[in-house]
Amino acid sequence: GVFAHLEMLEAQAHKEAVKKEETDQQEEKLARLKARVEELKLQRDKLRTKVDLQQGQLEKGRVVLDPDQTSPQAALEWKIKSVKSMLKIFYLTGISGKLTKQGVCFCISTAYEGTYFDSYYLDLFIKPQVWIHRHSIPPFIPLEQIAKKYLKTDIKRFMAVLSDHLNAYVGRRYQAEQLQEHFSDWIEGALQRNSLCNLLVFNYTVARESKAFPFSVRLLYGDLCCSLPTEVVVSCASDAPASLAEMAAAHSDLFRSTALHKAFRSIQGTGEMGN
Amino acid sequence: MDETVIEYIRRTVLKVPRDEIKAMLQTWGFLSEAQLQTLNFHQTKENISQDVAQLCEENSAGIKQAAVLDMIYNHIYPNKRMWSVYQMIKTGEETEFFDITDFKKKFKRRLRSALKNVTINFREHEDNAIWIRIAWGTPYTRPNQYKTSYVVYHSQTPYVFISASALKSNLPLLRQTLVFASNYHDIREMELRSHSLNSLKDIVFKRYIQNFQTYCERSLPKQDVAPETDSRIIQSHKDEKERIERLNWEAFGDGPLPKLEYAQYVLETMFKSDPKMDVLDKKEPFRCLVKFSSPHLLESLKALTPAGMADAPLSPLLTCIPQKARNYFKIREKKSLFPGSFVSP
Repeated sequence: GVFAHLEMLEAQAHKEAVKKEETDQQEEKLARLKARVEELKLQRDKLRTKVDLQQGQLEKGRVVLDPDQTSPQAALEWKIKSVKSMLKIFYLTGISGKLTKQGVCFCISTAYEGTYFDSYYLDLFIKPQVWIHRHSIPPFIPLEQIAKKYLKTDIKRFMAVLSDHLNAYVGRRYQAEQLQEHFSDWIEGALQRNSLCNLLVFNYTVARESKAFPFSVRLLYGDLCCSLPTEVVVSCASDAPASLAEMAAAHSDLFRSTALHKAFRSIQGTGEMGN
Repeated sequence: MDETVIEYIRRTVLKVPRDEIKAMLQTWGFLSEAQLQTLNFHQTKENISQDVAQLCEENSAGIKQAAVLDMIYNHIYPNKRMWSVYQMIKTGEETEFFDITDFKKKFKRRLRSALKNVTINFREHEDNAIWIRIAWGTPYTRPNQYKTSYVVYHSQTPYVFISASALKSNLPLLRQTLVFASNYHDIREMELRSHSLNSLKDIVFKRYIQNFQTYCERSLPKQDVAPETDSRIIQSHKDEKERIERLNWEAFGDGPLPKLEYAQYVLETMFKSDPKMDVLDKKEPFRCLVKFSSPHLLESLKALTPAGMADAPLSPLLTCIPQKARNYFKIREKKSLFPGSFVSP
């Protein structure tokens, strides 16, 4: 009837109104975007002129150290090379760092007697206070203890103490490995050690009057920042001649003052090493 | 008693792939070279094991030698067992002088005082790892050599790796014994489990290659490796590809990743639905468990974004696995400003 017809017309009108609104909106959006494009084009042109200007300045006259190579390319390469060498030097000093978005990333490179060993990393965040986000420090280094003591108050001291721990550990480990590698003939049985290499127990043989005597050594490294032992006990069998006790004492002093492998080398030199 | 020991040795040999049997027996060192020469390693494993059993009987093998063989087997094939990681806690600050003889003595004494019928064996390895094998009995029965627990401990670290196998009831005793012997105060289980023992070690000892930002050239992402591509192929989404690569490198680094088999997320969050949909009548947490499994989970997560299967950057819930040293998570409602509260380890 009439009402149905009216309803239909109403619905049609409504649909067309919605469509018109949509097209209006789209046109509005298009106009906005077009304006934005113009804006960005202007910005781009401005930046382009700026770059051209700078490029011109670069070509005019920069500080060139090598008078033969006047190209800016060569100067840039030289700069990169010198920066790289500077960074390498920092790395070789043992503690180097790089600023990150949220703090600093430190690299501790360890060395002993002129040989470089592993590098360890610490990623520090500085907000709300200094804390360790990530690290690659081995689990037997007492990192939490050192951090608790120094991290919040004195970062320099923290890094120095941690670096000392790591370098000393690497030094002790190197000595134990050198011993096992070069003096295995004189070591009886296995070398007892632990992860930190701060307790070494082993037996070695000495020769006196063409007879071989076993010595047993216990090295305790009480100071974790030191690669020399704090306590040395060298003992021989109870039925050994008295002169051997003197040798044991001498060896004990030697181990307390010299690196383990160097000490063994000097004992070997005196001909006291037995078979 | 002897027969069960010989049978145990025979069954241990049967587990080993045929080509590896000779090497393992040599490592074991219980049979002499001459005896090993008499063995024919080209026959079936069943026959080899019988011959080995025969020789062991001639040499009067005891439980100790059998245990050593079992330890060698598990050291070479640790991935056959499931390992959990535990962390020991100490409050003192004294320097640790870990003495292995002291540790062994304390461990044996403490465990034996609680349970007489146990077989305990130790084996030290080059990397300062101490392996402990424990065969459990009861106050009335002998130790069952087939129901063993293994413990791997690196001295002066707070981490212990335990593979408990069937008898879980002995775990509390084992944990207390470890704490006592290593001079710690307490022990808790970490939410980290895997078959790959070395990968678990890599994660907690931080031995895997993390991508630290430094000036060292090693840690820069590999940008100069250009694969040979046909010049006719144009990469239309080159920027996007590079962005994904960079985000992936930030999340996973560029070294080999530790091998985990699964990650499990237990959700205890409210189901957030469109109010019009009216899915739940009651407002209670929607319990759900999501488990990702893979032969090498972290590598497959790393491959997701370059393959286009997930948006970059990946959810931190997935990328934090090696750094947080956990692959079991409980996700609760957001209580603070930090997105996604985790159960604190």
